[in-house]
Amino acid sequence: MIAAALLAVLVAMALVVVRALRGPTTFDRLLAANSIGNGAILVLALFGFLTGRPEFLDLGLTYALLNYVGIFAVLKFFRHGSLGAEAEADGT
Amino acid sequence: MIETTVTILLLLMLGAVTIGIVRVRGLFAAVVLLGVYSFLMATLFVVLDAVDVAMTEAAVGAGVSTVFFLGALSLTDTVEAPGKRRQIMPLFVAVVTAGALLWGLSDLPEFGSPDQPIHRQGADYLVRSMPETGIANVVSAVLASYRGFDTLGETTVVFTAGMGILALLRRRRGEGKS
Amino acid sequence: MMDLARDILAGLFLSAGAFFLIAGAIGMNRMPDLFTRMHAASVGDTLGVSLMLIGMVFLAGFTLVTLKLVFLLAFLLFMGPVASHALAAAALQAGVKPMLAADGTKKSAAKRRKSAAKGRKP
Repeated sequence: MIAAALLAVLVAMALVVVRALRGPTTFDRLLAANSIGNGAILVLALFGFLTGRPEFLDLGLTYALLNYVGIFAVLKFFRHGSLGAEAEADGT
Repeated sequence: MIETTVTILLLLMLGAVTIGIVRVRGLFAAVVLLGVYSFLMATLFVVLDAVDVAMTEAAVGAGVSTVFFLGALSLTDTVEAPGKRRQIMPLFVAVVTAGALLWGLSDLPEFGSPDQPIHRQGADYLVRSMPETGIANVVSAVLASYRGFDTLGETTVVFTAGMGILALLRRRRGEGKS
Repeated sequence: MMDLARDILAGLFLSAGAFFLIAGAIGMNRMPDLFTRMHAASVGDTLGVSLMLIGMVFLAGFTLVTLKLVFLLAFLLFMGPVASHALAAAALQAGVKPMLAADGTKKSAAKRRKSAAKGRKP
């Protein structure tokens, strides 16, 4: 049961990685990065239950915090610096 | 079985993201992809049972270095200049390094074998450390007492790196604004 | 008996979460523009992650692990929508236009890219 859930999360993460690589704008990549962070938390928690050591969920909390710190740092940067949008526009 | 599957899936994703980082031209997108990379890497470390390394990778890779890269990007351009010609030398260096690492890998002792050096020497720290150093935590005793100079060196390296980054980012920003 | 019921409940929550996660991931690949993708990703992620965490709460029983899971759940429930909002606001400010029903797919994609390139702040 847990193994099946783990595999499902990994498949979802793989699909999101595809979007992170294709994404025409940087925001698509950011969205995918956020999603992958959530997936990583789930993989961590499920793997803890699978191996019978769910005590490492503290790591999941840290991941969640760092994920959002990263996202907001990037989004804050958008208000001050330049975007690199021209490179995204002519295809990568 | 399931652990092997998870490891292989994560490694495949890591490979895809790495190729993406190399191919993407916008440096901004590369920073975001690097964040993705270090999250995947940290998850892989957890699956491989290296929880402390996973913590470090998540904190340093996804947290601090993203912020540092953004600081560097705000000082420079956010688009990578297209290369003039194909360079063979970096490829050569990378291939040679990877070959040397793989060659060294074949010489490692078997995983978990009881007669490798790490298990024969210093396995009695648990018994020795309390009377010798008086520190209750064995890991702290090893890090701060038995390997004190090693730890001092590491701390110096990290401190120097932090000072360098701070000096670089701060000086340039002050000049740019004024 | 109790254990069996608990496991069945946990399995139901986990599989529901897995369904929503995969649906969100497929939506992220198939939707035509950024804002619709954001819709698929944020809704699918929030629901999927929450359901999976609730399923794990059933697995864990009353321990410290449950408390951590509840903290994680609360944090994700608060921060997910905030991050989505910030992302949408930043994208709009940077000049990414939502695709409207009137424009064809090809044309609007080209226009969107052009405006994204033009609309950056100096």
